[in-house]
Amino acid sequence: MGKLPSTLLRRPSLAPSGAAAGSCLLASSSSPSPTYTPRATTLPSQTQCLLPQHNQQVRHATFVLRSRRPYQFTQLVQLSDGSTFAVRTTSPVGLYRSARDSRNSILWQPSNKTLRNVEMDEAGKLAAFRERYGTSWDLTAPAARAGEEEGVEGGAADGKEEGAAAAAKEAAAPEDPFDSLVDLISAYATTDKTVQGGISAKEQSKMDRSKKK
Amino acid sequence: MASLRGLSRPARSLPLSQLCRRTYTTTPTRCASSEAAAAPDLNELENTTLTHEQLRPEEKKLFRPWKRAADRTTQLPGQKYKYHPPKYNRGPLHPIQSPPASDPVARDFVPGPFNLPRLKQTFQSTIASDIMTLTYKHVPPGTPPKETPQRLREWDDSSPYHKNRGLRGPRGAPVLPLLERDITFNNIPEIKEITIATYVPEAIKNPYNLIVARSVMLALTGTMPEITKTKANVAQWGIRNGDKAGVKTTLYGNAAYEFLDRCVHLVFPRIKDWQGIKATTGDSSGNLSWGFTPEEMKLFPEVEVNYWLYPARMIPGCRIFVKTTATSDRQARLLLQTFGVPFYGPIRN
Repeated sequence: MGKLPSTLLRRPSLAPSGAAAGSCLLASSSSPSPTYTPRATTLPSQTQCLLPQHNQQVRHATFVLRSRRPYQFTQLVQLSDGSTFAVRTTSPVGLYRSARDSRNSILWQPSNKTLRNVEMDEAGKLAAFRERYGTSWDLTAPAARAGEEEGVEGGAADGKEEGAAAAAKEAAAPEDPFDSLVDLISAYATTDKTVQGGISAKEQSKMDRSKKK
Repeated sequence: MASLRGLSRPARSLPLSQLCRRTYTTTPTRCASSEAAAAPDLNELENTTLTHEQLRPEEKKLFRPWKRAADRTTQLPGQKYKYHPPKYNRGPLHPIQSPPASDPVARDFVPGPFNLPRLKQTFQSTIASDIMTLTYKHVPPGTPPKETPQRLREWDDSSPYHKNRGLRGPRGAPVLPLLERDITFNNIPEIKEITIATYVPEAIKNPYNLIVARSVMLALTGTMPEITKTKANVAQWGIRNGDKAGVKTTLYGNAAYEFLDRCVHLVFPRIKDWQGIKATTGDSSGNLSWGFTPEEMKLFPEVEVNYWLYPARMIPGCRIFVKTTATSDRQARLLLQTFGVPFYGPIRN
């Protein structure tokens, strides 16, 4: 374990390929190698070849490249459900045990109930906390929600004044359907200035001052 | 084939296709005499060493190749007397010809395949027939074949010079988009190749980034990656045309199937809060792509096994391009979904 792939990697030269093969023109024209050399019509100041020699395509001979293949091991992969299969890989580990894969992921096993993220709350502590402090969604609740809460509070105050029995009666009595619809429409139509970004900096500062007082 | 044995000799000399056609009309009768004669000795066909006699212990003792090698007084001819294939192919008429690539001495010989990837196995045994069955569209026999619409523009003969002119391409785009072909028994989409590409602009300043990118890519794919160069000149980004700033490699066949298998079953499930691949991916001709961030690259088992050997914060992300033989994105998505790649979000085409 702990070996880089066996193929040796050379440090690539930073210079562009034209400048890298600087002196190839004269050398290759004298050598009997079957690489193509540009004709002598090029200007003497232009001493660089366009490509390094081994990349050059010549018309009468094609270089047969020996393919560079790094060594590949045969590895046994064991998935989290115990199933195994063999793969060819560069990793030198003989047996790869996977702790998390598609066999124990909810995205691939949607019907597996043990993978579901269900909250264990037998003592009801989490529910009690939420009842007391609310959830993070309550912080970003729109204004309509706030209006409802006000209505509820007002109703409760009325109930206190008139008596618990009357309040219970009110709650039990079916409301006028037309009335509730009107409420719905009006609640929908009210726009919250803070949500719409409608209050100016001046108004904002005024509000802040009044809050402090 | 057993029914052929019952036929007479002139009938046996006929080609097989004719025989099969005849069997539809007349069922050949089997004769008991010909059946008895046609029980051949199949052992001579079966050329296996398993049926040979075992060597006796005395014979085994006589077989000593190591002794023969030790007793040899002269050296065997060295490498330079062996056959070496030519370095260059000089055309079909040249007297020196290189051996075929399937010959183990050939310069371009690649050994293998060493295994049958399980994803390919699943594709051949299950997925291909499933896709074909699921996308079956019944066409009543006798229905005229659907005509391909003429998508090239014609000339409106307003000028006498329009005569014999070729058709014009579509407006706006120089190429015609692919037409979707129906999935049939001879047109089932499959994986053609997978290209993995990395762009490492930091390598312009520090070439070691390129080495790390190459070795990561080498570990992932098991092939020698190719170094790519930038094509644009942008002074603000510090890139010039021809700078070495990227690495790419392409996987074909078994390697492509194994890489996709590794992505789907080992890498994707480990990505935190991963919903799937965006369904808007695709070039509308059946090639889908996605990307891995540098953090997700270390989830590959090949990188994970020697992660500590790579320099810190030098491992680059990469982009994966899966090219399929499907002619539309929805067919390619269907193929990848059967391979277990989840998609999410709106679908474009």
